[in-house]
Amino acid sequence: MSARNHEQWNAQPKLQSGEWVDSKIYSDEEIFEEELEKIWKQMWIPVCHESELKNAYDFRTMTIAREPVIVVRGKDMKVRAFLNVCPHRGNMIERRPSGSFAKSTPSGTPKTMTCMFHAWQFDMKGKCVNITRKEEGYQDRLCESDVGLRELKSEVYFGGFIWVSLNDNINQTVEEFAAGALDSLAPSVNEEPLEVFHYHKAIIDCNYKLWHDTNCEFYHDYLHYHNRITGFNDEYFARKNTGFKGGHVNVGSFEVQYENYEGFHSREELSFPHLPANQWYMIDMFPGVNFNLRGSALRSDIMTPLGPNKVMIEFRGLGLASDSPKDRKIRIDHHNSIWGPFGRNLCEDLIAVTGQGAAMQSGSESRQILHGRHENETIHDENGMRHYYEEWGRWVGRSPSHPDQPFVEPAETA
Amino acid sequence: MAVNGAETAEKIKSLIYKTCLYQDDCEWKNWLDLCSDDFNYYIRAYSPEIQKDMEYMGGPKEYMESITGQLRKHNIDDSPLKRHGIVYRVDVADDNKSATAVTSLTVFQTLLGGNSSHVDSGTTGIFLVGRYNDKFVIDGNDVKFIEREVRLDTRRLDKGTHWPI
Repeated sequence: MSARNHEQWNAQPKLQSGEWVDSKIYSDEEIFEEELEKIWKQMWIPVCHESELKNAYDFRTMTIAREPVIVVRGKDMKVRAFLNVCPHRGNMIERRPSGSFAKSTPSGTPKTMTCMFHAWQFDMKGKCVNITRKEEGYQDRLCESDVGLRELKSEVYFGGFIWVSLNDNINQTVEEFAAGALDSLAPSVNEEPLEVFHYHKAIIDCNYKLWHDTNCEFYHDYLHYHNRITGFNDEYFARKNTGFKGGHVNVGSFEVQYENYEGFHSREELSFPHLPANQWYMIDMFPGVNFNLRGSALRSDIMTPLGPNKVMIEFRGLGLASDSPKDRKIRIDHHNSIWGPFGRNLCEDLIAVTGQGAAMQSGSESRQILHGRHENETIHDENGMRHYYEEWGRWVGRSPSHPDQPFVEPAETA
Repeated sequence: MAVNGAETAEKIKSLIYKTCLYQDDCEWKNWLDLCSDDFNYYIRAYSPEIQKDMEYMGGPKEYMESITGQLRKHNIDDSPLKRHGIVYRVDVADDNKSATAVTSLTVFQTLLGGNSSHVDSGTTGIFLVGRYNDKFVIDGNDVKFIEREVRLDTRRLDKGTHWPI
């Protein structure tokens, strides 16, 4: 058989259950809404890095599953997270992406979060400290202690990333949530403070899981000229994909031959602490976060799903806070020459996944997306994606291969 | 500005517009031939998100020659970019040996593939907005770029590009 007719095209693949998924999970509006409720509102999500809030009264804003979130550093230097919503009329309190509450705003006094709408004010612990014309309007029926901000669970973990959960009842620490997936890089990122040096964002037409898949599977290195000539050798093909509880995956390391790409050089001189020269680790955290360390620069991808076929990816690059200006410049070059918006690899990945998004738009016919490569759990094995979708099925309660049917635990792990 | 500064300023404007044409047409060698051997290229932006000045791309002439020379080996987005520049200001040093220029820049992208070429091809949108901050060396009648900083306002760059701006 060569090309197939419609019936043949839709026939079940000659693969085992779990070795393919239905493209409906990337395009269906109802499934997307379920994912926001059942996954994104329940998990720990890293929202930014502590170096983005260095001083007391600094803040960063973001969203998780459409909910506005603000992270602030208090006078006590502790980082706290709140819903960025005024309890009075539901206005977003702070609109800027970052800044400081140390100075006054047009509606408010220094050292408070002030809602510009009616000038209600809150301290860095979320306590309401001023209701304008309170007694005239509310008499003794409502006071400041009744209208504090909604505080969200937050933790600083893994090299200074700030993790937030919308789930007040989450029963795991971030460390427990990571289940060991971050351990391979922990000594390197925790040895000394890190600092963000790069930020840009992409909003692209594809489902968030397709971006995560691309970070999980390295079979797509055929897409990247750079990776083929600096990678494809015995050591590369021996890299292991290791699954961790919770759907996380760690892609093992090898020594990249950067000098094989004309104009590029070894990154040995600026390796992160405890890391042999020119190593390249990738950690993919469920449901949509990636940490990618190419020896001298750490990259994080934080996904914000915007629709079944739309995702925002925030790209950060990090180095050591102690970097000299000269070292920092080299580290930035290392990061951006491959991963920047004008780098050699990142735009290739983004072109590829938007091609998937275009072929899996909402309402398009379901397709079978194959995750069936077995190569002893090495680099081109697709066990990382299989591991991820097993966890996805548990949380959403749907079979990834047959999303209209309930998820059933695979026999070997039931 | 020296007596012959006005003439040099016109020459610089012409040179800047020439780079736009060469880069629009992906004639990277012709573009870099307008640059001195000591030329450095940067794409930079300030991020209000992380409150830091950032360098998205940078390197000397040799590096730019190297990466543009390997473009044919990469899977690139072939959607053409068109640079719309307006030279706002040229300052020629009194000794007529150096100059600087500021050019307002908008880069438009006309999709070839887009997400779905059937729907998207032919669609033009703004790819990025910024400025060229250029520096020149002048040797008699010879004017060459010694530095180009592309200073971006745009930080949402979606698929990005392999091409220098």
